[in-house]
Amino acid sequence: MNGGLTKHLNIIDYTLSSLWRRRARNVSVLVVFAGVIFLVASFQFVTGALTQFALDSLRTAPEITVQRLSAGRQTEVPLDYGEQVASIHGVREVVPRIWGYYFDEVTGANLTVIGVDLERMPLGEKLNLTLAEGEVPEPGASGRVLVGRSIKRIVESKGSAYLSLFRPDLSQASFAIAGVFDAATDVLTNDLIVMDIGDARDLFHISPAAATDLCVYVANQEEVPNIARKIAAALPDARVLTRAQISQTYQVVFGWRSGFASVCLLTALAAFVIFAWDKASGLSPEERREITILKILGWETSDILAVRFWEGALVAGGAFTAGCTGAYIHVAYFDASLFRPVMVGWSVIHPSLRLVPSLQVSTLLLIFCFTVLPYMAATVIPAWRSAIVPTDSALSGM
Amino acid sequence: MLLLLACLAAVHAVLYSHYRHRLTEYEARSGLRQIATAALGLSDLCIATEARYTRHPAASDPVAPFMDHPGAIEHFPTGSFWAPPIPGGLRGEGE
Repeated sequence: MNGGLTKHLNIIDYTLSSLWRRRARNVSVLVVFAGVIFLVASFQFVTGALTQFALDSLRTAPEITVQRLSAGRQTEVPLDYGEQVASIHGVREVVPRIWGYYFDEVTGANLTVIGVDLERMPLGEKLNLTLAEGEVPEPGASGRVLVGRSIKRIVESKGSAYLSLFRPDLSQASFAIAGVFDAATDVLTNDLIVMDIGDARDLFHISPAAATDLCVYVANQEEVPNIARKIAAALPDARVLTRAQISQTYQVVFGWRSGFASVCLLTALAAFVIFAWDKASGLSPEERREITILKILGWETSDILAVRFWEGALVAGGAFTAGCTGAYIHVAYFDASLFRPVMVGWSVIHPSLRLVPSLQVSTLLLIFCFTVLPYMAATVIPAWRSAIVPTDSALSGM
Repeated sequence: MLLLLACLAAVHAVLYSHYRHRLTEYEARSGLRQIATAALGLSDLCIATEARYTRHPAASDPVAPFMDHPGAIEHFPTGSFWAPPIPGGLRGEGE
């Protein structure tokens, strides 16, 4: 066998026995380090999974959404705007939509109400496939709604067969539940109440000549930015939102979200590096004696540095493996339950996410660079200091 | 040491098979989510429902946080974790 390789195998063998001799200290470092890596990896896995979820699920979002702003707030869009948009060359279809929020005072939950003409929406005829029970009401059928699973639970908890909502004048509107969305679409539909557009107008008291926003579909995908610019020019008070911008928003919000968390985690990591430095920089009399004996036996400074390197690598490698494994289990099996309170805040309704942690090489490399490299860097100087202990001075201390 | 490595390999083999299973399930259900998005014209994920700008970060008011009244202090926990809208979003892409 190659002499260099044999030498390193012997050094690793010696390092393992050395780690075992000081197992209490090394295990404590490994546990703390694995905990830090677990937190960093969990955040990366969660944010990666959510970003992927958003990019996949919102791939079929409206090509352009047109809203209207007044005094900095979103307000109703006149249907005349739809006619102006439809007259722009390249626009295939303009579908007005009513949507808004409904606060349920009994449960404290915010619900999202959507009124849309399904016949005019792309894939509207396939919406039945997304239902776990019931079916999509006939077009124009009044008083029947499709609901997310959480809404179904809320209605059941009230012991009622009907969903009762209040109009702005406090008169009551009751709806029969025609269908419940499948758990697979929970992350999109959990808080939704989908109804006929006429019912939504009636519920929110929105004029028949207005809508909440307009979904715009174009014939040629390449033309989307141009048409968006034309709409913005034609309607100065409109907010024009393209599908690409929706995707960008989700890349930003989760990136920032994880970035915010990373600031907190980097603080923990910095504390850990200081801890590692403190542990590694103070040479105990036992370590000093060990180095002295090794030097007397003919070990060179480079050999002792190699031992220190392998010690650090084994501890860091073990912590990295344990931390990433724990993070995967946390995200995949427990739906990132440690982060849930921060992610959902005071939300009463939250979906079952069934996240798929993003196990990409780039993610693992990022975690490695953020955790293992600082540890190795923090221990290299103490390792060098321990390796250059003069034999005579060490002997005098024995 | 070898025993430890063998245990680690076994645990990771189980986790990897779980990952493949979850990924297959995710891809199989992806079509349903895309139908729901297209048919209802959805623009956002339903993760945090406590405030409109975290329920619909892509489609809500561009200056939604802090606008409950002038000088209002942000008080929703999830509000700390969502970025402000992209500046270009107001007047259309590319402007």
